[in-house]
Amino acid sequence: MSAPEAPPAQTVSRRRYDRLLRAREEAEALLEAKSRELWEANQRLKAQAEALEKTVESRTAELETAMHAAEASNRAKSVFLANMSHEIRTPLNGVLGMAKAIGDTDLSPDQQEMTDTILDSGQILLGVLNDILDISKIEAGQMDIENIPFDIAELAQSAKRHHGFKAREKGLGFEVTVREAARKWVTGDPTRLRQVTGNLIANAIKFTKTGGIQVTFDLDAAPPNATLRIEVRDTGIGISADGIANLFRPFHQLDASVAREYGGTGLGLSISHHICTLMKGDITVQSTPGSGTSFIATAQVATAPAPEAVAAPDIQSLRETLTGKHWRLLVAEDNKTNQMVLSKLLQPYELEITLVDNGEGALQATRKDHFDLILMDINMPVMDGIDATRAIRADEASGKRPATPIIALTANSMTHQIESYLTCGMNGHLAKPLVHDTLLQTIAQAVTKPELLQVPS
Amino acid sequence: MKGVVFVELLSMAETLIGEDAVDDVLDATELASGGAYSAVGNYPCSELMALVGAFSAHTGHSVAFLQTTFGKWIFDKFAESYTVFFEGKTDAFTMLESIEGEVHVEVRKLYPEVELPRFETNRVDANTLEMVYASERPLVDFCQGMIEACLIHFGQEAVIEQTPVNLGEAFGAKFNISLTAKMAA
Repeated sequence: MSAPEAPPAQTVSRRRYDRLLRAREEAEALLEAKSRELWEANQRLKAQAEALEKTVESRTAELETAMHAAEASNRAKSVFLANMSHEIRTPLNGVLGMAKAIGDTDLSPDQQEMTDTILDSGQILLGVLNDILDISKIEAGQMDIENIPFDIAELAQSAKRHHGFKAREKGLGFEVTVREAARKWVTGDPTRLRQVTGNLIANAIKFTKTGGIQVTFDLDAAPPNATLRIEVRDTGIGISADGIANLFRPFHQLDASVAREYGGTGLGLSISHHICTLMKGDITVQSTPGSGTSFIATAQVATAPAPEAVAAPDIQSLRETLTGKHWRLLVAEDNKTNQMVLSKLLQPYELEITLVDNGEGALQATRKDHFDLILMDINMPVMDGIDATRAIRADEASGKRPATPIIALTANSMTHQIESYLTCGMNGHLAKPLVHDTLLQTIAQAVTKPELLQVPS
Repeated sequence: MKGVVFVELLSMAETLIGEDAVDDVLDATELASGGAYSAVGNYPCSELMALVGAFSAHTGHSVAFLQTTFGKWIFDKFAESYTVFFEGKTDAFTMLESIEGEVHVEVRKLYPEVELPRFETNRVDANTLEMVYASERPLVDFCQGMIEACLIHFGQEAVIEQTPVNLGEAFGAKFNISLTAKMAA
């Protein structure tokens, strides 16, 4: 394009035109350069974003792998702990049963003391195993919470019975108060609540040298719901703010010196905290180092009507019941040690005990003889306890014979399993390791009033 | 220095002395750019000073007067094009105080390489603002013009006292701006 020779009037001068043109060309060049810079910056950003995305992807994959590995190993740990605890519990059951049996014989005071030490140590070991089993169940999400009616006052009484002696032995005051509002029946899990209360009281006794422990039960009721509040207040060594922060972590004690001086696994509070959480409650703590600690455990319960009073037979009348007649007992149990424990525990009573090794043996025995009671292990070779129970019940139904009470005898004390024992035709349940008094009570009740049997809590 | 300043200077000059006179001055002045300025370009500040000097010689007005006039011109253009900086501001002092902390911050985002003067402000009392200018460029009177235009923009009147100061940069001045009593109320 060529410019006209002479610009007409009213138009810009050549020099002005040239300057404007140069200014425009310069602006365009600048724009071009800027555009290029922008495009390149954009490309760099895109590349960077892609690289970032790839990094994020690979990091996420790495983390997922690591997480799966961690979860798997944690599961393996829980399973291992549960299995080990179970495997240790069975022989421990034998040790405790035999020690108890020895203790019931004529012993010199020295021998009696040694036997008591075996029993005490065994009970402590059993407690540790139960804690480990509990924490494994909690970690596996398999801790079941029962929902049965119970008396709060009775819960308080049992706490007093179990811990009063230990506190007095240490020269500590021990006071259990049930507030007026809490003198009621509610539904909840009394066993787990007893465990939580027991743990808090045992800790209080452990960490208090002078003064005393006050336990208070209170109920904040808004029917049909209610919050049970258990406060355990001590005058012990107290806990620092840092200590409180780590208090509920499993396997955690305030410091190594606590483990040395006071012992314990560091599982109790973690378990108690989990139990309260499962019951839609919590555990809170207030403490001043040097002047004492107050733990408050809460749990959701439901208000329940008090059942008709059934007088619990005392141990003397149980003995009389058991010695009153030659009761015929059939025991199906494959473990020799357990057989022996049971025989020894029942030796003082004139019972006729027939021992068989499996469910098939039990079934055959019932076809030949009449029994007043059958104690049935669950896991047995040839035929397990559940199949045997079904077969016996079928026999009885077709032969029009009255039903013999059958009590499950097992270490599996999980609620839903007990239900399955009851639905297959069993009348009750005894948890191993067998506790002398509970065994007597259950047998006496089964042979006299089987309709009153209930799953022991 | 941003090309927009040159474009505006020529635009103002054209309204004052006409296109032909501006072209004459551009032709007569030694300029590396040849006087072809684009608003988006960058040009040496020395060309601006040469141009102001040339317009001063051409018009007979002092350089100080031309700088002040140009400062006012630029402020009005600024107020027209960048209303966002005026939002929520109802007086000249608030506006002047915001130059360093708001306006220059935004300018640096768009032009990271830009060299900007420093403005420090200090409220002596309700009616007095002290504003200190420090720059590598001799544009004290240009600032004076901008301050004057800013007061006019907000309908305020003030006495402005200019004192040279040395703050390390090549050029510096302190402006003491006292609102006149009748307007201050």
